Amino acid sequence: MAEVIIKNVKKIYSGNVTAVHDFNLHIKDKEFIVFVGPSGCGKSTTLRMVAGLEDISEGTVSIDGEVVNDMQPKDRHISMVFQNYALYPHLTVYENMAFPLRLDKKQRVEPLSPTEVERAQKELEAARAAGNAAKVAKLEDELQNGRQQKGYTNDQIYDRVTSAAQVLGITQYLTRKPKALSGGQRQRVAIGRAMVKDCKVFLMDEPLSNLDAKLRNQMRAEIILLRKRINTTFIYVTHDQTEAMTLGDRIVCMKDGFIMQVGTPAELFDMPANLFVAQFVGAPMMNTVNCDLSREGDKYFVNPYGYKLPVDGEKGKALLERGVQSRPIILGMRPEHIQLARGKEGIPVTIQVNEMMGSEYHLHVTTEQGNKLIVRIPTISLTDEERNSMVNGTQINITFSGKAMHFFDPESEKNLLVDITNADAYELDADIIKHEQQEELPKAEKEE
Amino acid sequence: MAERKHMSMSTKRRIGNVASYVTLALISIIWILPFVFLLLRSFDVGNTGPSSAIFPEKFGFGNYIYLFTAGADFLKWYFNTFIIALVVCVVQTAMQFSMSYVLSRYRFKLRKFMMNFMLVLGMFPGFLTMIVLYQVLKTIGLTGANAVPGLILVYVASSGMGYYVSKGFLDTLPKSLDEAALVDGATRAQIFVRVILPLCKPILIYTVLTSFMGPWGDYVFAYTVSLGNEAGMNVAAGLNSWLAPNMINDHFAPFCAGGVVVAIPVMVLFLFLQKYYVEGVTGGAVKG
Amino acid sequence: MKNYTDLELLRLSKAKRTGHKIGVTFRSIPGKFKRLGIKIGLFFKNLVFGIGHWFRDIALTFVRGDWKTKVSYFVMGFGNVSRKQIFRGILFFFFEVIFILYMALFGGRYLSKLYILGTNEKTIVDGVELPGDNSFNILLYGVLTLFFIVAFIYTWNLNIKQNRINEQILKDQKQLDTGKDDLRALIDKNFHKTLLALPTIGIIIFTVLPIFFMILVAFTDYEASHSTFFGWVGFDNFGQLFNWSNSGGSKFSMTFGQILLWTLIWAFFATFTNYFIGMLIAMLINKKGIKLKKLWRTVLVFSIAIPQFISLLFVSKMFTTDGIINSLFHTHIDFWNNQWSARICVIIINLWIGVPYLMLVVTGILMNIPKDLYESANIDGANGFQQYTKITLPYMLFITGPYLLTSFTGNMNNFNVIYLLTGGGPETQAYYQNAGRTDLLITWLFKLAVNKGEYDFAAVVGILVFIVVAGLSLIIYNIIPSTKNEEEFQ
Repeated sequence: MAEVIIKNVKKIYSGNVTAVHDFNLHIKDKEFIVFVGPSGCGKSTTLRMVAGLEDISEGTVSIDGEVVNDMQPKDRHISMVFQNYALYPHLTVYENMAFPLRLDKKQRVEPLSPTEVERAQKELEAARAAGNAAKVAKLEDELQNGRQQKGYTNDQIYDRVTSAAQVLGITQYLTRKPKALSGGQRQRVAIGRAMVKDCKVFLMDEPLSNLDAKLRNQMRAEIILLRKRINTTFIYVTHDQTEAMTLGDRIVCMKDGFIMQVGTPAELFDMPANLFVAQFVGAPMMNTVNCDLSREGDKYFVNPYGYKLPVDGEKGKALLERGVQSRPIILGMRPEHIQLARGKEGIPVTIQVNEMMGSEYHLHVTTEQGNKLIVRIPTISLTDEERNSMVNGTQINITFSGKAMHFFDPESEKNLLVDITNADAYELDADIIKHEQQEELPKAEKEE
Repeated sequence: MAERKHMSMSTKRRIGNVASYVTLALISIIWILPFVFLLLRSFDVGNTGPSSAIFPEKFGFGNYIYLFTAGADFLKWYFNTFIIALVVCVVQTAMQFSMSYVLSRYRFKLRKFMMNFMLVLGMFPGFLTMIVLYQVLKTIGLTGANAVPGLILVYVASSGMGYYVSKGFLDTLPKSLDEAALVDGATRAQIFVRVILPLCKPILIYTVLTSFMGPWGDYVFAYTVSLGNEAGMNVAAGLNSWLAPNMINDHFAPFCAGGVVVAIPVMVLFLFLQKYYVEGVTGGAVKG
Repeated sequence: MKNYTDLELLRLSKAKRTGHKIGVTFRSIPGKFKRLGIKIGLFFKNLVFGIGHWFRDIALTFVRGDWKTKVSYFVMGFGNVSRKQIFRGILFFFFEVIFILYMALFGGRYLSKLYILGTNEKTIVDGVELPGDNSFNILLYGVLTLFFIVAFIYTWNLNIKQNRINEQILKDQKQLDTGKDDLRALIDKNFHKTLLALPTIGIIIFTVLPIFFMILVAFTDYEASHSTFFGWVGFDNFGQLFNWSNSGGSKFSMTFGQILLWTLIWAFFATFTNYFIGMLIAMLINKKGIKLKKLWRTVLVFSIAIPQFISLLFVSKMFTTDGIINSLFHTHIDFWNNQWSARICVIIINLWIGVPYLMLVVTGILMNIPKDLYESANIDGANGFQQYTKITLPYMLFITGPYLLTSFTGNMNNFNVIYLLTGGGPETQAYYQNAGRTDLLITWLFKLAVNKGEYDFAAVVGILVFIVVAGLSLIIYNIIPSTKNEEEFQ
């Protein structure tokens, strides 16, 4: 059980530069949280404050119920993977991975490692045969309850390092120096070094950004597998929205030191709290246009590019529930929610650039007024004839899917249909904590 | 046509190369010649005074033998110098490296002030302090015949100020190494000893080398602190005393022999450690 | 003058552009001074406010603190001990005891005489020597005592601050650090303090204190002839230096001017001849197609390995009237007795000392110039010379800018080359105390102090060397681009 609770945390650098404003987050046990945002948004700073590499200017961070503000990184029970790997160049891969274990000299009760178990069992048989009762009792106790020891034995270190190396597929490199490894292999070693230690929170600071695109996809998949194996709380920092969407249980989207939205990948994609999140998540970027939302009885209409389009279904109902009146808005449409009109009435646009991506087309088009937008059309939905006609300068008609429209306030840039504001993010979480405590307390009483 | 042009180009290059080789050979000769002269003079047992002759009148090892006989204090000077240089290079390296490590790796309140302050201090001529230090050493009896510990103290005391070069090197080591070690559970002292020091071998060797060479060839401080007392001199001050007007006429050739003997250890060190020295010099200059 | 935008500037001819840049530089000078003035003003404002805050904090801590804190104002470490930080407390207390003992038994005496540096000269009455005041000791121990007092105030303040912090920690119901924690922190949290302790103390005692002392000496008449009894003379020594009047102008002032001029000329030539010849040789060795690169380099590097006192003294003898050089060319030139030949010789021989070093520096940088710069210049049609002036030289000057500056000031203080080659000579009656024509300020300073025992004038020269070096550094540092746009070439 290792919750991380970040409460009212601020980072103010000397000279009154505030890198992180009032950060509130409740990370549940074994959750995979991703901090995402453009560079300079404070995501790495926040992570480093959790790690203890950066002082916390205000607020508290607690790991597993303990406030860690004044704790050294080594006492926080964390592991961390750095962007540039941070492998010790003078140590072999094996020694790199063994480093945290060798440094740990605490008294502990440690279960025997597989090699030790094997040996202990042999000794046990021998002791039994010899009738050495004291030794038998001691060995049995050790096998069952672990051994009281200081730090780790060489066998334990060996077993841990080799098993981590096996998981990561770097066993054959254990005797090499980091210099002799490729970028991907170094990254694996860095992850391995973080894995061997028993940690409550696993921190990763842009671990894949130094890798090339192909390797990055491969490593991303491996991290998903790794996460199942390690099964602890993860905090992962990235600037890449694809990584965030594929890895995270929940995503914290940040900008200029503020949390823009906290939510599951689907929430961020379907219900972006504001224009920033809407445009940051999803590729290509969401199209936006200033226009008017008009209400006629129970029906809503928008007029992008001078064409009146109905808002239909759920969205209309939601607007009605909130009693939204006619008003100016920013209309957001994801490229994949725009279709070819195919003979039906639509907005005429001219193709400027045609990007054939294989499974889909990205069309950069302009409207008659000169507004630019991007349309994403699955290749499979096009006839051969249509595909051949998609050349630059061709005019096509497009329609918007009314279900997937997003409405933003032009001034605050907030989504008209999503209530969660930045300030609410923590309160929401605080409610959860209260809730859980209330639930737990009566239980405990009952048990007593 | 094209072929002829090609030919002329390669000829041109060949001529250029020959010119370069000739220049380089000339330069090498200019740089080597004084040592050749020095070496030749050191073997001259016929005329041990200053001479305009290039080749010795009489060739022999007499001057070298003279150095190591009881009549000359050379052995004493050599021993003094060796002790001083050895102690200084160990202590100075430790102090200098500590200073550069701290200034490169830690951010504390007085850091900027310390760096600026040392910069300003460095602009005062070093001899200015010598006047005071000499008087102080004299009062505690570390001049003259007892100059060796006094000299060590003077050389070592302010060595923290020469932190620039190694700090430049340390600045190039990624900070995330320290952070990774911190997360891995190392104390600051363990980071210093187990992570940083092993990576600093080149610059450590450079520091050892330069801090050995400093006192090995220093004349001014040694001359002042030893006060003309031969028991407390180092080789530089001692050999220089042989060039005084009343000594030079029969001591010039032994001086040359002494010079050769003094130069040999440093040359041997250079033979093996040249790579590190070059790295340090270039790195230090670029970092400023 | 017309104001151009950056884009408009590009349309001008090179000459006009340079002219414009020079104009801008000069016009920015008043602004720079103004900014400097503001900076200095702000510094003093902060200083005054800082001191004010400090007093307020001290007073507030006293008023608001509990009785343990209050006692600590008089008995240092009491607060620590009474809050069970025995280790720290005892250290504080010991420091206070030592300080009081020192002041009472030793320091106080010297400090009280510091303002006059002693009144009784050593006298001999009826064959019995009556010890008088020793001005040197008074000045030295007086300064030491001043330093000690500063250290004491610092420690006392630390002691007060500790009390304040400890009270807060106890109020928050947290644990105070124990002595064991303190020791552990020395290898962990406070490891930098452990590492810095020795080097810093060394610098303070062996550099800061002596320099402070010598600055004071410049305001006394401390000379070897009366080294134990001297007094304050105010700005008299400096007055001598600035006494330029034609008739009664002091020799000291004239000598200083002449030597300063030669020092600057020397530093200029020593720096730039080394720089360009070193660069040429480095480029020659690194030229494509030259073999045995390592050998050529090693030959030069080995001249660094020979201690300078040997090579320089030997070379100096090579250039005497009956030296090897004269016998080689069958001439009889007295290189060292003519001021011009001596000056030219030291500059040339200095090449022999400095070029190998420069060659190493330049080689390192040459290797770092991206090869594609040359490839692209080749494609653009630049010939070898153009490549040198458009790529190599600007890159080199940019990277080595700060190095050139330090090397210039280093050459101003290049004691070894001058002293071992010429000893400053040829000496001349025209100069104060027979200084020589090749004397640099630094060798002059050395001779004044060590040979002539004129410590007061030596101190004045030392201070002026500092002023010249600091001033030059400040100006050049603000001009050269390397310190400002670090990213330009990266």
